[in-house]
Amino acid sequence: MARARSRRYSSRRSLRSWQLAALLGAVGALAAAGCSSSSSSTSTSTSTSSSAPAVSSSVSAAPGNATSGTINWWASPINTSGKDVRQVLIQAFEKQYPNIHVSLTSAPTNTDTNRATIATDISGGSSTPDVFMGDVIWPAQFGEHGFAVPLSNYLPASYWAQFAPGLVQGATYDGKVYGSPMFEDQGFLYYRKDLLAKEHLPVPKTWEQLVSDSETLQKAGLVKYGFVWEGDSYEGLTCDFMEYLTDAGGTVTNSSYTTASLDTPAAIKAVTFMRSLITSGVSPAAVTTFQEPQAMSTFASGQAAFLRNWDYAYADSQVPGTPTVGKVGVAPLPTFQGESYPGYSNIGGWNLYINPHSKNIAADLTFVKWMASTTAQDILSVQYSEIPTVESVRTSPQVLKLNPVLAIVPSTRLVPRPAGTPNYPALSTAIYTNVNAALSGSTSPSSAMSAAQSQATTALTSAAGGL
Amino acid sequence: MTTISGTADKVQATAPLVGRPDVNRKRMARLGWAFSTPALIIVAAVTIFPIVYSVIMSLSNVSVTGSGINLNGFTWSNYSIVLKNSTWHYALGFTIVYTVITVLVELVIGTLIALVLQRLTSGRGWMMALLLLPWSMITVINAELWLYIYNGVYGVADAILNAVGLGHPNILGTNTPAIIALMIADIWKTTPFVAIIVLAGLVMLPGDIYEAAEVDGSSGWSTFWRITVPLLRPTFALAVIFRVLQAFGLFDLPFVMTGGGPGTATTSLAILGYKAMFQNLDFGTGAAVATTTALLVLLGCLASLRFFKVQVGKEGT
Repeated sequence: MARARSRRYSSRRSLRSWQLAALLGAVGALAAAGCSSSSSSTSTSTSTSSSAPAVSSSVSAAPGNATSGTINWWASPINTSGKDVRQVLIQAFEKQYPNIHVSLTSAPTNTDTNRATIATDISGGSSTPDVFMGDVIWPAQFGEHGFAVPLSNYLPASYWAQFAPGLVQGATYDGKVYGSPMFEDQGFLYYRKDLLAKEHLPVPKTWEQLVSDSETLQKAGLVKYGFVWEGDSYEGLTCDFMEYLTDAGGTVTNSSYTTASLDTPAAIKAVTFMRSLITSGVSPAAVTTFQEPQAMSTFASGQAAFLRNWDYAYADSQVPGTPTVGKVGVAPLPTFQGESYPGYSNIGGWNLYINPHSKNIAADLTFVKWMASTTAQDILSVQYSEIPTVESVRTSPQVLKLNPVLAIVPSTRLVPRPAGTPNYPALSTAIYTNVNAALSGSTSPSSAMSAAQSQATTALTSAAGGL
Repeated sequence: MTTISGTADKVQATAPLVGRPDVNRKRMARLGWAFSTPALIIVAAVTIFPIVYSVIMSLSNVSVTGSGINLNGFTWSNYSIVLKNSTWHYALGFTIVYTVITVLVELVIGTLIALVLQRLTSGRGWMMALLLLPWSMITVINAELWLYIYNGVYGVADAILNAVGLGHPNILGTNTPAIIALMIADIWKTTPFVAIIVLAGLVMLPGDIYEAAEVDGSSGWSTFWRITVPLLRPTFALAVIFRVLQAFGLFDLPFVMTGGGPGTATTSLAILGYKAMFQNLDFGTGAAVATTTALLVLLGCLASLRFFKVQVGKEGT
């Protein structure tokens, strides 16, 4: 009996040690998340400070005039149909600079995954990519952590003056410009010309009018939903929210990013209106799970009368075979009744940044400067309908007549996201999770905004990024 | 295989020359260490170093810079930030509830499936292959498929619920339905795994006990509860611990299907840790989330181990 017992005990012991091994594996898996960039943990900031002067001395004489070298360019796909615009740009660049060779690394399309990858690469000391195409909301975070070269140390004020107003300011953190604007994006209102004509309705200039137009069209049985937009719990909701918030006269923070102002009447008005779009049936309940593709496909399949989306939505609605071909109009976004038209459009788009570990910053600068040239900006706008960032290209008749979207760009009013703080990701999370909760009806707009206020305050006051 | 036995022979052949048996044993031990060192080094590099480093990071003032991660001195602040954070409290509760419910349901359904499979005389191989399809599918693809099913505009689930008169419930956009939707996707995928483990346990059970039970006139029901279930306890323990480890690290399903939303309703601890580290670049707090999660899994597994052990002990007395 004792023997049997001890054997049972020992078998239990072995089970236990087996289990311990399994546990170690699991712990390792969890902990590995924290260690993917630990390779250069021992290097200190002295390495950057020692390499920076060497770089600046080599290029300060003629910034962006290097004519040889190799560049690895990190960029997410820009277009989905036709020839890859990134390759077209590279070919045009290499034609002009035959001794600079550019290789392309395709980055993830999800902007947060993209950022996580490039941030871990650079913090791990990788010297590639040399130049990376990054979101317009990255400058503060990347500037603060030293993940990008301050381009204003190399490029003169005259270079920055050629861009459309607001773009360089958006790429500036702590007095230095970190990103060179490559192409821009902003929110537009897309509408069904044919449906509005049938009911003799004007293009809505206020949000209230958009709701009543939608209800008319829905009651007439012309369309299933009135208005689709991006309401999922993600960065895109922060963009949409910024538009309603600014229309209502609110801001997310004060200008110095020290206090949040999300529990204000303006913010509550914005969220209450967004929620009312769903409760009134103008927007489908599922809009709280919509990102751009879902909103786009609902509109392009003819199921919605209005769509809030970025500039590419026009081209997507005109793909042959789509039910909306020839039936789509575009306008600046509406605003609230009593405010001056047009409403605010949130700024999106992409900048070029340089990796501080790049071995060839001189050639990188040539490439970055070239992207702001008329040649490159024309390729982006004339051939691919992206909104150019250089003011002269943006307002040239050739670009304006290209498509209805580019034609109304000069008349929109822009508002950036509050990305001037290195803790912007946490700030944006505070916004989109709480707004999304209010949209789904699990909490009231006012309590959602007071939760957003307290999380935003934590984000603004915490030293590191926070939870 | 041959090389190992060959070496062992050689050692035995040289052993008598040395004479003293304890020296011989020492030499054998040294040889053993020499053989296992490469493996141990790899294990240390990929397992122990990251764990230790992660724990150190969670206890440091971490600054992430362009030239690497700097640890600037000891601090408890990462843990105090995590423990005071209301989203962490929610994520902890959500992860625990999610783990308990999915593991229990998987265990019940998995056992039922295993009992059916055991009785299948023909086509068992085919059934097992079919059954394993969801398990063999990559979780992210599985999540994308469920995303289509749950889609609020053209999803099948939405259409079915609408057809039976439940309207358009906005499955992934409302808190409780979103959580249930994730659980269903998880249970669909991992029940086959539990079924296979339980089936393996069933096949190993000694047949004579069942014969004895039959002779004693035991009904099927009491045979199941009094014989099958107690004998399967080690198997259940195995399945539960595997599943608890996996479910507690819930990441891919909410990452793909809900992004942690609506609001923060499906934010698991792993999603929270990911956001802290890779979106907010706050490696200290992120490491604290990872470390606390790991400790909790450890405790959870020890607790379930204790639970199964107590049962076995009772049986023995």
